[in-house]
Amino acid sequence: MLPLWLAGKVFRAQARGPSKRIDLLSSTVSGTPPAHPEGEIKRRDFLFLAAGALTVVGAATAAWPFIDQMNPDKQTIALGVPIDVDVSGIEAGQQIIVAWRDRPVFILHRTPENLKTLKEPQVVNDLRDPDSKQMQQPPYAANWHRSINPDYLVVVGICTHLGCIPHLTKAGAAELGASWQGGYFCPCHGSKYDLSARVFEGVPAPLNLPVPPYHFVDPKTVRIGANPKGSNWSFNAIEQI
Amino acid sequence: MAVETNNKLVKWIEYRLPVFSFYRHFLVEYPAPKNLSYWWNFGSLAGFMLVVQIVTGIVLAMHYSPSATLAFSSVQGIMRDVNYGWLLRYIHATGASMFFMVVYIHLFRGLYYGSYKRPREILWFMGVIILLLMMATAFFGYTLPWGQMSFWGATVITSLFSAIPVVGHAITSWLWGGYAIGAPTLNRFYALHYLLPFVIVAAVALHLWALHQHGSNNPLGIDVKGPQDTLPFHPYYTVKDLFGITIFLIFFCYWIFFDPGALLNPDNSIMANALNTPPHIEPEWYFLPFYAILRSVPNKLIGVMLLGLSVCVLFLLPWLDTSPVRSGKFRPIFKQFFWIFVIDCVILGYIGHLPPIGPAKFYGRIAAIYYFLFFFVILPFVGWFERPKPMPESISQAVLDKKAKRAGTEKA
Amino acid sequence: MERVMRKFLVAAVVLLTLGVVRPVPAAAAAFVQKSPPDLSWSFDGPFGTYNQAALQRGFQVYKEVCASCHSMDYLHYGDLSALGYSKAEIKAIASGYTVTAGPNKEGKMYKRPARPSDAFVAPFPNEEAAAATFNGVAPPDLSLMAAARDGGPNYIYAILTGFNQKPPKGMFVPTGRYYNPYFPGGRIAMPPPLTANRVHYADGTKATLDQEARDVATFLMWASHPHLDQRHQLGVKVMIFLFILAIVFFFAKRRAWKDVEH
Repeated sequence: MLPLWLAGKVFRAQARGPSKRIDLLSSTVSGTPPAHPEGEIKRRDFLFLAAGALTVVGAATAAWPFIDQMNPDKQTIALGVPIDVDVSGIEAGQQIIVAWRDRPVFILHRTPENLKTLKEPQVVNDLRDPDSKQMQQPPYAANWHRSINPDYLVVVGICTHLGCIPHLTKAGAAELGASWQGGYFCPCHGSKYDLSARVFEGVPAPLNLPVPPYHFVDPKTVRIGANPKGSNWSFNAIEQI
Repeated sequence: MAVETNNKLVKWIEYRLPVFSFYRHFLVEYPAPKNLSYWWNFGSLAGFMLVVQIVTGIVLAMHYSPSATLAFSSVQGIMRDVNYGWLLRYIHATGASMFFMVVYIHLFRGLYYGSYKRPREILWFMGVIILLLMMATAFFGYTLPWGQMSFWGATVITSLFSAIPVVGHAITSWLWGGYAIGAPTLNRFYALHYLLPFVIVAAVALHLWALHQHGSNNPLGIDVKGPQDTLPFHPYYTVKDLFGITIFLIFFCYWIFFDPGALLNPDNSIMANALNTPPHIEPEWYFLPFYAILRSVPNKLIGVMLLGLSVCVLFLLPWLDTSPVRSGKFRPIFKQFFWIFVIDCVILGYIGHLPPIGPAKFYGRIAAIYYFLFFFVILPFVGWFERPKPMPESISQAVLDKKAKRAGTEKA
Repeated sequence: MERVMRKFLVAAVVLLTLGVVRPVPAAAAAFVQKSPPDLSWSFDGPFGTYNQAALQRGFQVYKEVCASCHSMDYLHYGDLSALGYSKAEIKAIASGYTVTAGPNKEGKMYKRPARPSDAFVAPFPNEEAAAATFNGVAPPDLSLMAAARDGGPNYIYAILTGFNQKPPKGMFVPTGRYYNPYFPGGRIAMPPPLTANRVHYADGTKATLDQEARDVATFLMWASHPHLDQRHQLGVKVMIFLFILAIVFFFAKRRAWKDVEH
């Protein structure tokens, strides 16, 4: 419908040229060349324009259900609710990976040595965004340790480059050289993050790993997906997963 | 036919792939008889419905699971959870009925105006092939929701093949991929339901190609004599077709939005159960006349053969109709048998819907006999002894006569 | 010739119509299934919508009466927001049920209270268990009851109010079956589920049998067609648009053809 109308417009505009606009019709196979007085043509133009415009509006509106059907459906959204995770069993220096909204979330129990690396100039100077200025975490995690309780790092474990899962890699890992203080290394394209998931310079990933909304229900339990009382931060506000 | 334009991009493309002149030739300048009535709208409506069914079908396939355990609940997911899923499914489900309605009117129009006669025989064949493909597609599609009527409809129709002597049983178990309709059957029907519409698109392309070879038939059934008999397709028939589509959409949308249940069988809201046949099973309305023919024969093999013949007889139509005159307008006797035939098809449809007992069975037989009588006896014989009414010399002459007549009555 | 034809045509049509319209004689049984009354509902017609108060009452009837035997597999507690319940109310309703989840880290299934994203908890773990409890006949799932029966909500109302009538002479109703003239065959396995004051409505409505049956039929209609309100509203808009479009195209067509003899 739509291309037909547009093409009709184009051809008629072309046929208009120096001579009269009805040339195209009369010069073809029509045996009865319609002779329109000027006013008639205007009326016809208006009617055709109105019909064309309404058709375009109708077709565009009708397209919306066909587009919207691909968005997450009601049940998918209903399942994206907060989850509770017991963190008491994670030993210092270890992490667990849990699924929240079909995505891996790292919960890393950091040792005091781990935390010390976060402030080392040797590390900090190499980071793209050491002060967490980019919106990749809720305001309550925009601090030097990117967390609520420094002992536990909670981040969505998806590399901000192209979506692979970075590995927790201990300090001194052979492939990353002697200066490596420990952090996350993405095997797909070599992006590196420190132990608070801040991205290093010189790797393809542009941003720190995102911190989801979360809070501690009690010292042993993290609720991922819900802000602490008093905050209404939306996870949709982050720069990028 | 070159396109005259100063647009460089258009020229560049046109020189390499002449899409613009193709398009102009077929949709803008294409000369159509000037006397086409609104019955000629149903061809473009059928094309419109094909597009609607393909687009909604692809979208539904994004949410549907063709597995016997998940099919029914995935349809419920579409109806309840997917954004606008209910709308898309209702368009597709009632759209099947609309598509058949439009195509049947298109077919009866061709029958009345002799559109199958020389030189349009292959055009007609392509149409019958499209009809057969549509029937197969609709049948496969009806199985997919995996409701009770899906299951038992598929059982009955596939069992038709068991009537074939010797190899019948081997064919049915080959179709089913099991001892009965089941999970493998659903998977293959889904694959075929997705494939066949694109085969229909190819058949439609051939149908249109054949159409453009000799142009549309017209209500007078006489050949176009020259440019005075035709109009360029655009804007005359584009605007008329679009007007027709709008009116049709009002009708279509009534069912979608206000009474979708009227075209769906309640039994299909119950999940398929291989151990329990619903008390009254019947196909969708568009298969009912053929179903009535099947049921009116008390012999399995002959019943199945007549069912097949009832559609395939349309292939023979150009030779069964012996009259040299195309349009029923000038055929006083054919005209009456034609309308009896239309009523006969409606009656067959109604009888296909009734339980196969009592007088319905008797009248079903009479209606089935007339159905075949019309093709094999009435059409050949009427053509021989009927004396056609005088015909106008040309389309434009008929128009002038009509005008003169109108002027005459106005004076009086 | 033509006159003969016309006579033949008229005779044929009359004959065929007479034959087809004549009612099919009923089978030997004295029982004839009654068709349900044609009641008027708030959701009838192109402008019809659900009445939320009736839906909530209907849900209460389902929850307190029907749910002890009938499942509603395709509904989730979260869907109840359409009935006008708040998120907190839905959470409270859901947490009244227990679902089996898991497996947990030890590989064991465990029980937890239901959440809004859970499907309605069924009264029996599977159909076989339900059938075993009720002499081999499992109570049907109610998610699609209003779509799966001819007459929809009218049929549901008729069944629920159609008990306690005298079976026709000579009809044998075995124990465990109940006579109901609206049910195919007339002998239903479900004992009369509703009586006056079977529930105490939270909104103070008088719980007559008629009221309860209407409310639960409304609720089941909603369960089968949860998007009916949206469908009607969109449909009216689409119709208005199409009528305007048709009028414009009608005049555009007339204008285009104005000077053509056809």
